[in-house]
Amino acid sequence: MRPIETRYALSGDVRIAYQVVGQGSLDLVFVPGFISNLDLHWEDEGYSRLLKRLSAFSRLILFDKRGTGLSDRVDVHHLPSLETRMDDVRAVMDATGSGRAALLGASEGAPMAMLFAATYPERTRALALYGGYAHFHKWVMPPERLEAFIATAETAWGTGATLPHLAPGRVDDPRFATWWARFERLSASPTAAIALARMNAAIDVRGVLAAISAPTLLIHRRNDARVDPEASRFLARKIPNSRLVEVPGRDHPIWTGDVDRVADVIEEFLTGARAVAEVERVLAALLVTRIYDTARLGDRMWSERSQRFQETWRLLVGRHGGRPAGTHGELMMARFDGPARAVRCAAALRDAAQEIGVASAQGVHVGEVELRGPPTGLTARVTMQLAAHAGRGDILASRLVAELAAGSGLHFNDAGRIALDELDEPLALVQATSEQHLEPAFRPKAKAAEPAALTARESEVVNLIADGKSNAVIAAELGLSEHTVKRHVANILLKLDLPSRAAAAAFSARHAGPHGP
Amino acid sequence: MLTKTQAVDGAAIKKAIEGRDGKLLASFYADDALVRVIDRNNPPSKPREIRGRAAIATFWDDICSRAMTHKVDTTIADGNNLAFTQACAYPDGTKVFCAAMLELKNGQIARQTVVQAWDE
Repeated sequence: MRPIETRYALSGDVRIAYQVVGQGSLDLVFVPGFISNLDLHWEDEGYSRLLKRLSAFSRLILFDKRGTGLSDRVDVHHLPSLETRMDDVRAVMDATGSGRAALLGASEGAPMAMLFAATYPERTRALALYGGYAHFHKWVMPPERLEAFIATAETAWGTGATLPHLAPGRVDDPRFATWWARFERLSASPTAAIALARMNAAIDVRGVLAAISAPTLLIHRRNDARVDPEASRFLARKIPNSRLVEVPGRDHPIWTGDVDRVADVIEEFLTGARAVAEVERVLAALLVTRIYDTARLGDRMWSERSQRFQETWRLLVGRHGGRPAGTHGELMMARFDGPARAVRCAAALRDAAQEIGVASAQGVHVGEVELRGPPTGLTARVTMQLAAHAGRGDILASRLVAELAAGSGLHFNDAGRIALDELDEPLALVQATSEQHLEPAFRPKAKAAEPAALTARESEVVNLIADGKSNAVIAAELGLSEHTVKRHVANILLKLDLPSRAAAAAFSARHAGPHGP
Repeated sequence: MLTKTQAVDGAAIKKAIEGRDGKLLASFYADDALVRVIDRNNPPSKPREIRGRAAIATFWDDICSRAMTHKVDTTIADGNNLAFTQACAYPDGTKVFCAAMLELKNGQIARQTVVQAWDE
């Protein structure tokens, strides 16, 4: 996408960076939370998704508060009051020619937006407040927890250390965690961040709530990790013309979690119409395959086996009519037109993993995904969580998969329910069972020679053969009779389909690792 | 002052748009009028639709609340069809250009399709 032009509005003698996106009839000013950076937002998938959704029905006006992001730095020892920062909103509106706008205040942006609505009712068309609050210490954190947060910022600002406080659901997403660390560094200096945190801690706008006359929408995630949902319930009671919508989820930043759900609610509130259904979304079955090392293979051997499994995964997904949709380390996602194909492929992958000598755990789910690009929405996240929840060798699927696969000959056992953060109801699960019903669409012609086929003792023997040792020496070293060693050697040659001891020695050299083949 | 009984014409539209008179603009539309907006965020297969005079009144009210200039340049009338182009500018220099095609019915706008592009 083309970079959005950044412009600067003059607020007193401070320049406030802003961007304008879209050309809807309605002006919508996004008042960001704690920190922001106009340029960086577009690099995060969730953030750009949110902005794209909002700018489809509005002229979306974005800005960085003074002291943050691309706006002028301010003296951190004399930070501006909430009133001054609120006036930055007015300056940006003036610069963009916005006479009257709807304000979307997120997190710390919410009290600022409330203050604006109470001060400039004639310029406030409507107010949408996400994860907001009127009093910091009451609903965000008490003074002692604030000190701990500040201590974290003092020692580790810029490393992404604040992520667990705000979006615990994204801590395990390395790409997002890296982006978050950059977001910290490029949005505020450590000193500014600490000063901002202290200033936000002083927020108390309870006195202005009754003076807000604009129609107000309150949105709060039910298990918000940062701001107690009670904060929005309080606002709903105190702001005259307001309505509260609680949505599932725990990650606090507005651009994380189910962004579309939040955008839907805002769009309906501001335009009176639900978003037009996305025509480019289609129903698909997703399979997430997770492999892991239970045999302490050592880095090199694990890496080889992992790579071999990924090659096999591509092959099997293709053979079952699916499309590889991306890999993240040891996590692989594939997309299928129907759930039965996905489950059959999962069964074939489970067998392949056993043959290669890696542990597998898989999740299958059905839902809508974007037609183009890799699946990234709720369906993808649920499938990944199923794979994370599955035990070794398990194929864990949502009940919906079993229902849609009725008549396919696949068998499933009930596997209870799992409560997922982003879903309203716990998800009913099944486990794909009965291997005889899970025949893959093809069979490998011949079993390839695999180190995993050997027992621990046979592995020891083959290593000693590779060292050039005779049966007698091997027997002495392992404390076995020579006859037993001969039996082991015969079994090894049979299992590996090798003609001679020399071939077994060569095989051992090819597959050697810290723990032998 | 134009009344509802008077047929809408290019000159009346030009005057209302350039004077940012949202109320007057809304009065040009039939009760069940439909405005469709096509732009980079609302592609032809999924245009933004504004249905009915009340929603269209809000639409124009929002646009006219902006401190911007509008200039209606070319107006072409052909029976019950009217077309015009509109060049607009915001105080920070951002420009918007629209082309609109209108279908009139009993002297009121029944259907309008706007195609617009802008600096971003």
